[in-house]
Amino acid sequence: MSEIKTYDVIVLGAGPAGLAAGYAAKQAGADVLIVEREDRAGGILKQCIHDGFGIIRFKQKLTGPEYAERYIKMVNELSIPMLMSTFVLGIQKNNELFELQLVNKKNGVFALRARALVLANGCRERTSKQVFIHGSRPAGIYTAGTAQYFVNIMGMLPCKECVILGSGDIGLIMARRLTLEGSKVLGVYEAKSTPSGLARNIVQCLEDYNIPLYLSHTITRIIGSGRVEAVEISKVDESMKPISGTEQVVKCDGVILSVGLVPENEIAESLDIKLDPNTKGPLVDQNFMTTMEGVFSCGNALHVNDLVDYVSESGELAGLQASRYARNSHNRNLIEIKSNNRDFLYVVPQYIDTSSDNKSAVIYYRSRDVKQNVKVIIRCGYNIVYQNKHSVIRPPEMEKAELDLSNISINQDCKLEIIMTEG
Amino acid sequence: MSKQLKKIEAELRKNISNSIECREWRNSIVLEGKVESWDTVTAAGKKAANRGYKGVVNKLTVKGLEIPQINSPSFTDTTLQGKKVDVLVIGGGIIGCSIARELSKWDISVLLVEKEEDLAMHASSRNDGMIHPGIEPKPGSKKAYFNIKGNEMYTKIAQELDVPMRRSGSLVVYDSYWVKFIYPYLKIRGNKNGIKDFRLLSRAEAKAREQWISDSVSGGILFNTTAVLSPYKLTIAYAENAMMNGAEISLNTIVLGMKKHKNDITSVLTNRGEIFPRIVINAAGVYSDKIAEMAEDNFFTIHPRKGQVLLLDKKKGSMLTSVIGKLSITNVKGTTKGGGIVRTIEDNILVGPDSYEQPYREDYSTSRENIENLMKKHFEILPILKPSDVITYFAGIRAATYEEDFIIEASEYVPNLIHAAGIQSPGLASAPAIAEEIERLTCKVLSQYKQINKKQSWNPIRKGIPELHKMTPEERNKYIKQRPDYGVIVCRCEEISKGEIIDAIKSPIPCVTIDGIKRRVRAGLGRCQGGFCLPNVVKLIQNEAGIKAIEITKKGNASNLLTGETKTDSIAKEVKK
Repeated sequence: MSEIKTYDVIVLGAGPAGLAAGYAAKQAGADVLIVEREDRAGGILKQCIHDGFGIIRFKQKLTGPEYAERYIKMVNELSIPMLMSTFVLGIQKNNELFELQLVNKKNGVFALRARALVLANGCRERTSKQVFIHGSRPAGIYTAGTAQYFVNIMGMLPCKECVILGSGDIGLIMARRLTLEGSKVLGVYEAKSTPSGLARNIVQCLEDYNIPLYLSHTITRIIGSGRVEAVEISKVDESMKPISGTEQVVKCDGVILSVGLVPENEIAESLDIKLDPNTKGPLVDQNFMTTMEGVFSCGNALHVNDLVDYVSESGELAGLQASRYARNSHNRNLIEIKSNNRDFLYVVPQYIDTSSDNKSAVIYYRSRDVKQNVKVIIRCGYNIVYQNKHSVIRPPEMEKAELDLSNISINQDCKLEIIMTEG
Repeated sequence: MSKQLKKIEAELRKNISNSIECREWRNSIVLEGKVESWDTVTAAGKKAANRGYKGVVNKLTVKGLEIPQINSPSFTDTTLQGKKVDVLVIGGGIIGCSIARELSKWDISVLLVEKEEDLAMHASSRNDGMIHPGIEPKPGSKKAYFNIKGNEMYTKIAQELDVPMRRSGSLVVYDSYWVKFIYPYLKIRGNKNGIKDFRLLSRAEAKAREQWISDSVSGGILFNTTAVLSPYKLTIAYAENAMMNGAEISLNTIVLGMKKHKNDITSVLTNRGEIFPRIVINAAGVYSDKIAEMAEDNFFTIHPRKGQVLLLDKKKGSMLTSVIGKLSITNVKGTTKGGGIVRTIEDNILVGPDSYEQPYREDYSTSRENIENLMKKHFEILPILKPSDVITYFAGIRAATYEEDFIIEASEYVPNLIHAAGIQSPGLASAPAIAEEIERLTCKVLSQYKQINKKQSWNPIRKGIPELHKMTPEERNKYIKQRPDYGVIVCRCEEISKGEIIDAIKSPIPCVTIDGIKRRVRAGLGRCQGGFCLPNVVKLIQNEAGIKAIEITKKGNASNLLTGETKTDSIAKEVKK
């Protein structure tokens, strides 16, 4: 057996988060490796051929593959090695070093070591069973991402006439895409009383194509033996429970699901890293370091972002901080950020490391409900350190607050707290 | 009309429906008439059962209830036209396949026909994968006999067929003190049935064995012989071993009728031609009564009893070491099954099945009410389980007769027909023993026609598709060196490699459906439910089996995954031309 190679930083995932993390870590002087389970870099961007990516990061509207290409080029220019089609089987921490067991075609099962890890595993789609859809199990039920792969990568249509359940962004994008490619989209049904996707997608993907959006409706039953033949749609009440007597049957041959994304954190869980029940991603400090020293999280593995630009941003921060950690770790002093579930879907990061050199923190937050004229305030004791007025705040849109921590003295008795008030 | 018949009829009319008429046919009781509901149909059947007749033939119909036709292959051809075989096995579930394998020991020709695109498409892939210890069946029943015998045979069978099995034992828990008084009764039953290894556990012992069980549990009974395995992997393994030893298997083949001369079946009509068998074995599951009817030997009726099942994420697998059931008065006495919590051989947690009568033999739809009830009932016993752990759920249908026992016998009226019918739980546990008994019966009948001998070359050993994720790194590397595709992970949730999926596609009984691949190697069975790997599996089927993407199906028979090309793609092709 040859000697096990040790890197400063190993990044898991070569999607937009992982590429950015690898790039930033290398720029900061680390010896970096990016590991990717698929055969090409770019993550889900490879199949997102619509535009709108990169407005913040590159000040340009790019398609998904174009955006990915930019980062792949940047990573290649720094000669950062990437191991493709390589799958992580397990990770162990031994004396400050992470030992990874991996598998691929060329090396078989092999080991690598790293001083710091960046988890950039992205997220997966919730399935029909995870939202408890019932009825039969014919062919023709796909998550929006899978349908997108069929259409954009394989050039195949998954259905002729479909309904879409859930108004998440990929669902909306697929409503337009399927229409353009020759399928009929009969409607988008959303159990919530407000859309889940971005307002711009509601306009550009549904309204422009006369695709109806039915709020407070859900699929209660799937009908069909070989292929989907019809679905039963019901109205739902405020707690999203179907109202009996409102059932109607819609004939169709496909169901596309866009019912939410879940960060993929099986690796983090195997390391006993604590997850936030709200984000389903790891609990992190302002440097995106998780509850395990030396393990960083970014992108959609940390929390599901609305824009890829923010995914890259988080990757760059995690990469930079992982690189710093690899060469010079310090004892953290974690103070939690107080928030509440009543007003916020989630707040990231969940901790501030007061002993970190990094005194600029970005706090990402999402409102639980659509609200008008609210003020989001971050305070430390009585001291208000940030406030922002929102004429309207919506769950699909992630908001961020930039804080300068250098003049704030945070400690156990004086924690940061984020609150939402009227005004 | 006999006295007994009159009595039963009067009882049925008084208590169930006055439109029921009874008559005797051979030594069975036949119920006829039109009633109001399906519950009435089954209630009448149950009432008439075990009253001195061989079987209940329940011909009651429900006003306005339409029962769909049997799902059939969509084509006909002449592949099997005129084919002569010694034995024709009808049904490619665990029973049919295990019979075919045992018969392949002999120098006789064996053909198994299955109406679906794959084996194990019905009850054999829709159960909890449990090899029961044998406490539930009534002492003296066929169920009790074959369950105990089958359970014992499994250690050898699983090894020969290379099907992973774990004898994890099962724990029946209870939460009230009175169950202790039932234990002596259970002990007598267990001893009568011949269960070797079971005992009462105190609360502390139960808790030591299953640390996550609810604090309300006050004790349990441990059955050490209980095992778990993958029922569909086992079915496929039996079929492959049968094929290796010369048996033939014809999928997409449905039996449509039979021709008889005097009492004997002379030929069996299928969508693929007329077959001329010496002996016919009825292992047709929920349709075994219909097959019997074609042979004019319908002395029993199947009433499809449905059950729904939940499957939970592997992450929770380690919260359980074996199988947990809960004891209540109903399942001490009755035949209804409450289901349990099972740690499957693949380390998922399986919950269920529940059990209820309904008229449809192939309706595998699930319903909110049943699934919610399963969660409510069972998550109480293992409170660490949460609805968010559920990755999928499904339904299965038990082929129950009104006598609630297996029918394993040579027909009394059709000399060349043998029944392996009415097989419901514990059918999987009993299968190896049932197969041996059917083998014995078949040889007995067949030897009247010809001299039969054991094959010199019979090989009981079958090798399965390697499961790389279970191997040590060294072992795994050996495989990857030989076939680099074993090092490419396609299904990320279950860690299944490209090599394993190709093995499934090219297995002895080739498999080109998405569900078939799932059953063989688990690609797509994990928490993302194929969201990521499905398109890659489609591409592999396309490349390895040479089937166009548009023709690939989920489970055969018009369950095509895709409906056509995109506009962009068809325009691009035009331009290329």
